[in-house]
Amino acid sequence: MLLLSYLLLSGVTTGALYALVALGIVVVNKATGVINFAHGELFMFSGFVAWSLHVGAGLAYPIALPLAVAAGFALGVATDRIAFRPLMKADVISLVLATVGIAFVLRGVARVIWGGKADYLAFPPITSPEPVMLGEIMVIPQQLAVLGGAIVVMLIFAAFFRLTRAGKMMQATADNAKAATLVGIRTERIYTLSFGTGAAIAAAAAVLMAPLTLLYPDMGFAFFIKGFAAAVLGGLTSLPGAVLGGLTIGVIEALAGGYIHSSFIEVSAFVVIMIVLIVRPTGLLGVSRVRRV
Amino acid sequence: MVLQQAWKAGTAGILMAASFAATGWAQVPGVTADTIKIGTFGALTGPGYLYGKLPMNGIEVVFDEINAAGGIHGRKLQLVREDDRCDPASAIGAVKKLIHQEQVFAMIGGGCSNATFAARETIDEAKVPLIVMASVHDGITTPTPPTIFSTATTSGIESAAQLQYAIDQGAKRIAIVSMRDSWGRARYNPLVEAFKTKNIKPVADEELSPDANDATAQVLRLKMTNADAVIMLLYPKPAAVFMRDAQKLGFKPLAIGQTGIADPAAFEEQVGSPGATAKFRTISMVRYTPQDPAVDKWRKAIETKFPGDRLSVFNLFGIGSAQVMVEVLRRAGPELTREKLVAALNGLKDFQTDVYPGPITCSETDHRCHKTPAWLAKDPGGPVRVLGATKVE
Repeated sequence: MLLLSYLLLSGVTTGALYALVALGIVVVNKATGVINFAHGELFMFSGFVAWSLHVGAGLAYPIALPLAVAAGFALGVATDRIAFRPLMKADVISLVLATVGIAFVLRGVARVIWGGKADYLAFPPITSPEPVMLGEIMVIPQQLAVLGGAIVVMLIFAAFFRLTRAGKMMQATADNAKAATLVGIRTERIYTLSFGTGAAIAAAAAVLMAPLTLLYPDMGFAFFIKGFAAAVLGGLTSLPGAVLGGLTIGVIEALAGGYIHSSFIEVSAFVVIMIVLIVRPTGLLGVSRVRRV
Repeated sequence: MVLQQAWKAGTAGILMAASFAATGWAQVPGVTADTIKIGTFGALTGPGYLYGKLPMNGIEVVFDEINAAGGIHGRKLQLVREDDRCDPASAIGAVKKLIHQEQVFAMIGGGCSNATFAARETIDEAKVPLIVMASVHDGITTPTPPTIFSTATTSGIESAAQLQYAIDQGAKRIAIVSMRDSWGRARYNPLVEAFKTKNIKPVADEELSPDANDATAQVLRLKMTNADAVIMLLYPKPAAVFMRDAQKLGFKPLAIGQTGIADPAAFEEQVGSPGATAKFRTISMVRYTPQDPAVDKWRKAIETKFPGDRLSVFNLFGIGSAQVMVEVLRRAGPELTREKLVAALNGLKDFQTDVYPGPITCSETDHRCHKTPAWLAKDPGGPVRVLGATKVE
């Protein structure tokens, strides 16, 4: 029972981070129909920005976090202006290649700026590193802070989509871009907002994750793959699906590693995804688009 | 008349001798009457710069010292750097550029193992002597290449040393946690062989991904086996995650690293959890920490030539390999050829440098010339200490 508790807690914490990455991917994909392959690098870059603000400039973590999220938003907007807007009428392959190009540029810039400081950059813990007991389970407060932070970020973005005018316009554009245009929504602005919002969510994930791990310029792709897998598992166009997908992958990885063998951690989630997609091709919460005739 | 003929014959002889000498130098790439061009490759940018740029800086200060003293047989040493960005394809390109475009005489280089391993075929074909400064992949020197020699400890030697160290410390239940990418495999396979040779079975054998952000499952599985020593074949990032989670879950074995985690002070900072690295030991290719007064001379040289830099163990890697190169260039004599340099390397025996824990010995059948890794530890809040060395047979 104790083993299960430890594994579930670690799985949910890791899964919450995957969920945040997946949310960003889904937000962009829902609005534009494009998978932003630079999403992992936006995540990585925002993590480094947070490091520069918190460690480099000495700003307090609660100040560094929103600033890094704002920087992530700006990077997302720049991605839209550079890689999406000029190619909006091109085929999907061109758009995808443009985002891949952005990914390489961001990685290269990060190497130039932060690559020469150390092999990995450590982000100081935001809570006491001393473990505390929750019943019989020993946890690091950092882990709880990350989990709590991830839940808060998810709630903020859920409120943004449901309660704000901009969020509602994004949903309308995602549902039907032509109809949204007809009712006066400037869809190009919505696309920009989607790229910015997606990157801001990635930035929030990066800032929360940074104290749990180490920063290095090549870290983005691994998180992108896990986030993408979570998004696919959830349905690729479903925001609750992205959260469910991320948590499912995190928990499956932890349980497979604990109860079968650690070599199953990397493959177990993908095996489950394959099974789910065979049984339900739209993912756990995705819906197939049906046109009535 | 006779005098005139003798003068003409003498002049012709001198001219011919000079011409032969000139032709001789011209035929040896990278060697002129007053310079020897040595190439170096490794990462100058990216996370691997520690194994590239910093050893290169070490080479540079050794060359400066030799040049200030008049060079080797009257020739000054000139270093040409190429960036391989730790990337196999870039390493092949860098080596080709050094050999064919820069026309270097020999090379000291190789930071990241996979990149250097990829470049081996190109170097073997060109038969250009290379002294490996930091790469540890066994495949670089096994099977024995014609012109590549390593002054870095190789992965197989390090794996054998890790197991030997655990046994020497009285560990009875030894476990493994490893990455299984090509870097990890290069260490894991020789480690498994070393276990077999000593007729020991690891009590657990767990995997950890290079990008892992959580090691709860691995720690719990190792803890259930009551392992008293864990051999870690991990990069610093997953190793830091492992040590952090081990402390969280109350698992405190002797943790044995390797040169992938070469700086215990940086590692303690990366783990970021007080006391988590108290029982961490790791391998160093060199016998001194950068703070040791024994390397004051090199600290001053590095900090003077590269303002803003502090001496690091990675600088020392370059210093050691450059001292070996200088020695064999001397032994190869003034009529320098690549064949003579390779012969000098093959004959190098018990050569002491300023930095390596043991002597450097190469032979025609074994180009793994460094077989004495040192052990480092860092007490929480204290300095990094050198605990001793393990001679691997």
